[in-house]
Amino acid sequence: MGEPLASSLINAGHEVFILDDDHETVTALQRELGMVAALGDATSIRDLSEAGASRADVLIATTNFDEDNLAACQLARNHFDIQRTIAVVNSPENAELFERSGIDMVVNATGLILANLATIIPSHPLIRLMPIGDHAKELVAIKLPAGGLLIGRKLSEITLPYGTDVISIITSDGKSKKLDPDIRIESEDEIIALSPTNSTAELWVLLTELR
Amino acid sequence: MNIIIVGSGNLGSSLAQKMSALGHKVTIIEKNLRATSALPRGQVNSGQIRVIHDDGSTASAMIAADIDNAEVFIAATGKDSLNGLTAQKAKTIFGIQHAMTVVKDQDAKNLYDSLGITTINQAALASDHLTELLTQES
Repeated sequence: MGEPLASSLINAGHEVFILDDDHETVTALQRELGMVAALGDATSIRDLSEAGASRADVLIATTNFDEDNLAACQLARNHFDIQRTIAVVNSPENAELFERSGIDMVVNATGLILANLATIIPSHPLIRLMPIGDHAKELVAIKLPAGGLLIGRKLSEITLPYGTDVISIITSDGKSKKLDPDIRIESEDEIIALSPTNSTAELWVLLTELR
Repeated sequence: MNIIIVGSGNLGSSLAQKMSALGHKVTIIEKNLRATSALPRGQVNSGQIRVIHDDGSTASAMIAADIDNAEVFIAATGKDSLNGLTAQKAKTIFGIQHAMTVVKDQDAKNLYDSLGITTINQAALASDHLTELLTQES
């Protein structure tokens, strides 16, 4: 995950440095991108220092190990005073811990894969309409399946993922419903919602769950 | 006291043995079946030490270990960052009274101490002790 991210950040004009503990990965990165990568452990203060952590504005942790991503972000904040930390969470259950420990942006890898798979399931897809505010939130459209668990429930009875707002509900014949709390969800309604990017998969699962 | 220990290596095993001998209820979580061989067989067989085969960093293992009724949680695997995550989860998500961890690295100790987790650096402890012994001798 780090390599394509690094090359897109370099192309956007940022100064990037990659720390990786795999010798072959580092050699390949140096061949592709120049001297922007070094062999090291992202949970070691010495290795982070040598990678220039004290000058960094952002630290992004994308290893396959949640414990290392958490430790790297916490060292970045507590030791190097890096203003912004971003971490990938591999196991969805760790997302809450990451958020509560003050990581600024938590990217749920499993959730993203789920959401992308959901996009291509034709029966009741999740359609990503627009990223909002630096990709922190997204405007999405989700169609409710006939036989869905929420059909017939009031809008006010549904607990949406944290930070998610319903913007509009459009009926199967293309009319938009008035958004008062007593409005009931009907089969084939399409819900347009503004949702944190890492919660869209959760929203999709909630809205498309079958009875 | 109800004590949960994650990791049954040398440290986890000997800690479990001592705590159990003092009359505490000890649950040990170890994902590697083979690693539990270091545990005192007698205390395991008699049920004084309960063993759960699972990944101790997961919420499901913590719940299986009855974390809601435990007072002390000690992360003692061989990996510092894993101990850090596990102890933080026990403290932040489950609200355990005492979260402790064992680490090898002084930087890790400083980090987890600053996060409110009682952290012990094995190497520093051993070297302090040796220094003390040598000072007494001379």
